[in-house]
Amino acid sequence: MTESRKIDVGEGAAIPNRNDWGLFNAWVISIVGAITAIIYLLISRPDPYQRLLVYLGDGIVITFKVTIVSIICACGIGLITGLGRVSKNKAINLVASTYVEIIRGIPLLVQLFYIYYALGRFLNVPDLTAAIIAMSVCYGAYMGEVFRAGITAIDKGQTEAARSLGLNGRQTMFMVILPQAWRTILPPVGNEFIALLKDTSLVSILAVADLLRRGREFSSETFLYFETYTMVALVYLVITLILSKGVSIMEARLSHYVRR
Amino acid sequence: MSAASQSIVEISHVHKNFGALKALNNVSLSLNLGEKVVIIGPSGSGKSTLLRSINKLETVDAGTIIVDGQDINDPATDINKLRMELGMVFQSFNLFPHKTVLENLTLAPIKLKGLTKGEADAIALKLLEKVGIMDKAHVYPSRLSGGQQQRVAIARALAMSPKIMLFDEPTSALDPEMIGEVLDVMVTLAKEGMTMAVVTHEMGFAREVADRVVFMDHGAIIEEGTPEHFFQSPENDRTKLFLSQIL
Amino acid sequence: MKRLFKSIVIAAAMSALALSVVGCGKKEEKAAEPAANATAAAPKTIIFASDATYPPMQYTNDQKEIVGFEVDVIKAAGEKAGFKAEFKNVAWDGIFAGLSAGKYDAISSSVSITDERKATMDFSDPIMAIEQTLVVAKDEKATDLAGLKGKSVGAQIGTTSYLVLKDVKGFKAIKTYDEVGLAMEDLVKGSIQAVVADSPVAVEYTAHKYADKIKIAGVVKSDKVENIGIAVKKGNKDVLDLVNKGLAAIKADGTFDKIKAAHNMK
Repeated sequence: MTESRKIDVGEGAAIPNRNDWGLFNAWVISIVGAITAIIYLLISRPDPYQRLLVYLGDGIVITFKVTIVSIICACGIGLITGLGRVSKNKAINLVASTYVEIIRGIPLLVQLFYIYYALGRFLNVPDLTAAIIAMSVCYGAYMGEVFRAGITAIDKGQTEAARSLGLNGRQTMFMVILPQAWRTILPPVGNEFIALLKDTSLVSILAVADLLRRGREFSSETFLYFETYTMVALVYLVITLILSKGVSIMEARLSHYVRR
Repeated sequence: MSAASQSIVEISHVHKNFGALKALNNVSLSLNLGEKVVIIGPSGSGKSTLLRSINKLETVDAGTIIVDGQDINDPATDINKLRMELGMVFQSFNLFPHKTVLENLTLAPIKLKGLTKGEADAIALKLLEKVGIMDKAHVYPSRLSGGQQQRVAIARALAMSPKIMLFDEPTSALDPEMIGEVLDVMVTLAKEGMTMAVVTHEMGFAREVADRVVFMDHGAIIEEGTPEHFFQSPENDRTKLFLSQIL
Repeated sequence: MKRLFKSIVIAAAMSALALSVVGCGKKEEKAAEPAANATAAAPKTIIFASDATYPPMQYTNDQKEIVGFEVDVIKAAGEKAGFKAEFKNVAWDGIFAGLSAGKYDAISSSVSITDERKATMDFSDPIMAIEQTLVVAKDEKATDLAGLKGKSVGAQIGTTSYLVLKDVKGFKAIKTYDEVGLAMEDLVKGSIQAVVADSPVAVEYTAHKYADKIKIAGVVKSDKVENIGIAVKKGNKDVLDLVNKGLAAIKADGTFDKIKAAHNMK
């Protein structure tokens, strides 16, 4: 079996190599370093660090919430968009392509402002919902491109084989093409997950009390800028590293049929 | 020759262009039930396109193709249902890499014919035995040799109990030592009375199995006839040239 | 292992290099400063950081200039005390960090003088007193913070207005905004039910911008007078003296009151 074409979309973070279980890879060094640093700070200077971490607590929860819900919604939107982009139906294809074109052309920060403050005049959505909608709509477009790339990377012969057996277009897509596409799609999708997680820090602009906003509140009150942002950065790093490891484990699971 | 003379595939005046290239230029061909037709010709002659247009993997620009009494280009025709009667084997096998050998065989029967997993498995195992790789039922295709993969592909097509089998250069992608095992399976199938249309460069196979040999060049059928006629006394100059190059 | 050690050494060397470059830059700046002073018959320029999203105190007009009441006050003070005031638009969140990092000489941004802030920076004499003011939607019945329990309220991040809210328990949520205008916008939209802001700002928004939608519910009572002033880095006596001299002069000769009148302020 030849290795399927690599697709490279978007920027996020490096997904750790799933076969590298060594002690001295970048992932292990980073996570051990980050956690050690956090523990060291908490013990060596309980005040302000313990107070700070407690203050950041509900912000971390909000950041998680926005990330997880947005990832799920963005995957759904991305799948639909990706299918639309490869659809032979011209109208569907045009709608999907236009959506991708428009969303990719507008910075996420502007989209956040737009959905919350501009559209907010007509349609008052709560800040957290607005944040999740903006993240999902934006990353849905990015993921749509990843899905499209993943689908088109599957050999045309697979579709022909499935169709010649009598499977219709939908059955072919869901039983033959997509199950194979996951494997090529997952690394770039994982990248998008991590980019999304990092970009959730932008929702603080809507006064959503996420990790960054809690940090900004703490520092603007205490003037402990160094301490606050050191801790905020470390917490983001730990979450990102855990997520990237999760993606790499999933990747290993999904490629079972190649190695067996 | 087979007893039946009832036509099951009727191709009439078919045209197909790929841009400026005339892939099929006014081609007519009929295939009777139980008949084995071997289509030969230089590469780019349109023979694969002709075969692929029978199950509508290629849509022709003009002309009609009637399969089992149904016009495949008629919008009222359920092409998916019709394709279940047309087994197809590809040059590059096209097994589903994410499914085991057994799952490759049972996917379509379970989904399309409503068989239970048990029924489908039983049929699949019988077919795997027939093509001689029953022991590989639970491995993934990536672990099989090319010859084994092609035999699985044949079994996969047979699992839908098609009326006709279409072979599109089934041995062209194989290492020479594996060609025989695939041809053996095809010969067995032919002897059982399967209706077959085969695009191939294997002249030995054509001689042994074909009821009729069709020679195509530049998108048109140049000459057709029995293997005896074809290999001993071809009439057309282009046929002679091609045969002299290949034999 | 060897490779790891090597990369650590390289990283250390590079950061040392980076530090030395930064160090050099600073030295040069310091060297340049006295030279500028020596030739200066020209008035000293003081750079003021200003979060110009705070009408009527400081905001940007349609010529992209930073204008407003406090801007006029500082400019007038500069004329009297012999300094040229230059304004730099800096986001509120981080404006104090920039001061301690030496990115500008002073902050002129309606900074309330508090004991907490005095611990990390020095303040000029008070410019004026302000009150924390409660702004609500036109149809809101509550007239004080107690009446808003169980509702969502907001203020600009890192302001004394926010501290006022933080001291009251029982709100559904306290939201902090980068700009006071965004808080007002959210109030108009109905996402929150009240905003606390400095009195001049509250007046500006309720009297002009959203006069038909929001109103002042009342003043948040406090036993202490809240003054705003100019903040400078701790120990920056030169700038502080100049500012104080100027402020005293314009208050003494009536210029200050004229500016107030020009901005329709009480």
